[in-house]
Amino acid sequence: MLKIENLELNFPGRLNLFIDKLSIENGRTLAIIGPNGAGKTTLLNIIALFQKPDGGSIQIWGEDILKAADKLKFRRKISFVFSQPYLFNETVYNNIALPFRLRGVRKTQAVDEMLDLFKIGRLKMNMASTLSQGEKHRVALARAFVTQPRLVLMDEPFLSLDARFKRSLMNDLRRIVKLSKATVIFVTQDQFEALALCDTMAVMVNGKIMQQAGPEDIFVRPGSKEIADFVGIETIVEGRVYKKEENLCFIKVKDKILKAVSEYSAGDDVFFCIRPEDVTLSLPEKQAGEQIDTNSARNHFQAVIINIEPWRLGYKLILDCGFNLAASVTAQSVKSLDLRIGREITASFKATAVHVIRRESRDDGI
Amino acid sequence: MNFIEVSAILKLSLYVSMLATFIAVCIGLPLGSIIAIKKFPFKKIIIALINTGMGMPPVVVGLFVVLLLSRNGPLGFIQWLYTPTGMVLAQVIIATPIITGLSLAAVQSVEPGFYQQILALGATTRQSICILVREIRLSILAAVIAGFGSIISEVGAVMMVGGNIKGQTRVLTTATVLETHMGNFEVAIALGLILLTMSFIVNLALTFIQQGKPRYTPP
Repeated sequence: MLKIENLELNFPGRLNLFIDKLSIENGRTLAIIGPNGAGKTTLLNIIALFQKPDGGSIQIWGEDILKAADKLKFRRKISFVFSQPYLFNETVYNNIALPFRLRGVRKTQAVDEMLDLFKIGRLKMNMASTLSQGEKHRVALARAFVTQPRLVLMDEPFLSLDARFKRSLMNDLRRIVKLSKATVIFVTQDQFEALALCDTMAVMVNGKIMQQAGPEDIFVRPGSKEIADFVGIETIVEGRVYKKEENLCFIKVKDKILKAVSEYSAGDDVFFCIRPEDVTLSLPEKQAGEQIDTNSARNHFQAVIINIEPWRLGYKLILDCGFNLAASVTAQSVKSLDLRIGREITASFKATAVHVIRRESRDDGI
Repeated sequence: MNFIEVSAILKLSLYVSMLATFIAVCIGLPLGSIIAIKKFPFKKIIIALINTGMGMPPVVVGLFVVLLLSRNGPLGFIQWLYTPTGMVLAQVIIATPIITGLSLAAVQSVEPGFYQQILALGATTRQSICILVREIRLSILAAVIAGFGSIISEVGAVMMVGGNIKGQTRVLTTATVLETHMGNFEVAIALGLILLTMSFIVNLALTFIQQGKPRYTPP
C-alpha cells in the first residue's frame, strides 16, 4: 500500500503543494486529474524521488522512501512513463532491455514478452528514431513494464497521441496493467482516459487533493464546486434549501423551486449540479399529455433555448429557465423537435439527478 | 632542418596536444555534465567563469604558468618549466574551459525529462552521465575537436612555457614562428602544411567517430 501524509512543497508565488492524505492499495490504479498547474506532475516527481519535498512522508511497502538511505533501491522498483517517450538512439530491443543492462542482468525472454504484449515484436531491430509517435509510446511503455515494477508512475502518457492510437494503446495498457499486478498512479487532464484506466480517482486543484473516490462518485457526486466544474458539469447554480420532506430537498433559486434528493436541511446554502445528459426535453404542446405523466422526473421547467452548440456526438443546448441549464441532445432530436435558438421547450430531470454541494453561506437574498 | 628533426617536432606536437586534449576531456566532460545536471548555489557565476575561460588569451595562460613554474614560483620545485610536461599543463588550462563549457551547453540542451527518464530506468549517477554523454556524442565530440583545435594551433603559451628549445620543447607552431623570423619561408611553409595535415588527420578520425553508427554497449 502506498500512503502519502502531510506532504508539503512550496514554490513561493507559484504553487503550494500540500497533500494531507492520499493512499492507494497494492495492484490498484489511481488517476490524478486536475487542471494545468495543479501540482500533479510535481507530486509524481516527488514520489519518483526526482524532487525533494519540504516535509511529509511517503510510505511504500512499509518504508518511508523519503527517509531511505538507499534511494536507488526504491527507484529500481518504480517505473516512470513521461508524456514524451524519451527513447535512446538505439534499436527498439536495446531501448527495452536498457533497464536490465543498468542493473547488470540479462533477461532476453522478458524483453521478448514485452515486445509481444505491446505488439511491437516486428519493430525489434528498428532504430527508435525511425518509429512513429504511437510506436514510440508503445516502446516507452514496454520499457517501463519490462522489469515488473511494483509501482508505475505515468505523467500524461498519451498526451501527444491522436485519438486512434490512444484508444488502441489504452486497451493494451489496461490489459497489461492488470496482468502485471503493479500499482499504477497516473496523471491526466483527460477525464475519459482516467475513466478508462483507473480504479480510483483523485482530483487535485491548487496543490491539494480535493476528493479521492471511485470515478463514478467524482463524476456524479463531486465534492466541491471546483471539482464539479473540472469534471464538466455545466449547470452549477447557487440556491438555498427552503424546505425538506424526508430526503427530498426543495431548493429555491430566484423564483423557481427545484426538487433534489439530498441530505441537506432547510436554510442550507447550496450549489446544485445537473449533468447535461440527465436533462430530457419535450415540446410544450405535449407537456400536458401523457409524456409528463409517464415520466418519473420530478422537475419540469418551461425554458427558452438560448444557445445550441456541437457537443460530443450530438449537441448541447443552453436553456434559460430562470437559471441557465445545459442539456444534451442527439442530432436526430434537434431535427425532429425542430430545436433552434428562441424556441420554447420543457426541460425535465429527476430529483436523483440533481447533485447538491454545500456552499459557503452568504447573505445574497436567494 | 633535416627529416629527423622535423619528425621529432611532429611527434612532440602530437604528444603534447593529444595528451593535453585527453586530460582536458577527462576533466571538462564530467565537470561540464555535473554542472549542467546538478543544482547548487552560484551555478550561474561558475558558468560565467567557465565561459570567460573559453576565451582566455593563451599568452595570459602562458604567463600564469611561467609564474607558477618558475624557480621562485609556488610550483617551481617540480621543475616543469621548459619541459613538455609544462607545455601540457599550459594547454590543459587552455582546453579545459572550452571542453567544459561546450559539454555543459550540450548537456543543458537535452530536455530535463530525458535525464529524469534515465534515472527512472534505474541508472546510478555515473551510468546516467555515461548514457547522456553517449546520446549527445555529436556535440561532445564537437567539444573535443574544438579543444584539440585550440591547442594544436596555439603558439603563445607553449613558446613561453616550453621556451622553444631545439630537440626538447620545439613544436610545429613554435618552429614555424622561428623559421619565419629567420627568413626561412620555405621551411616555415612546409611546417605549416605539416601542421595543417596533422590537424586534418586527427579531426578526420574524430569526425569518423562522431558520425559513426551508434552501437550501445552496457555501461
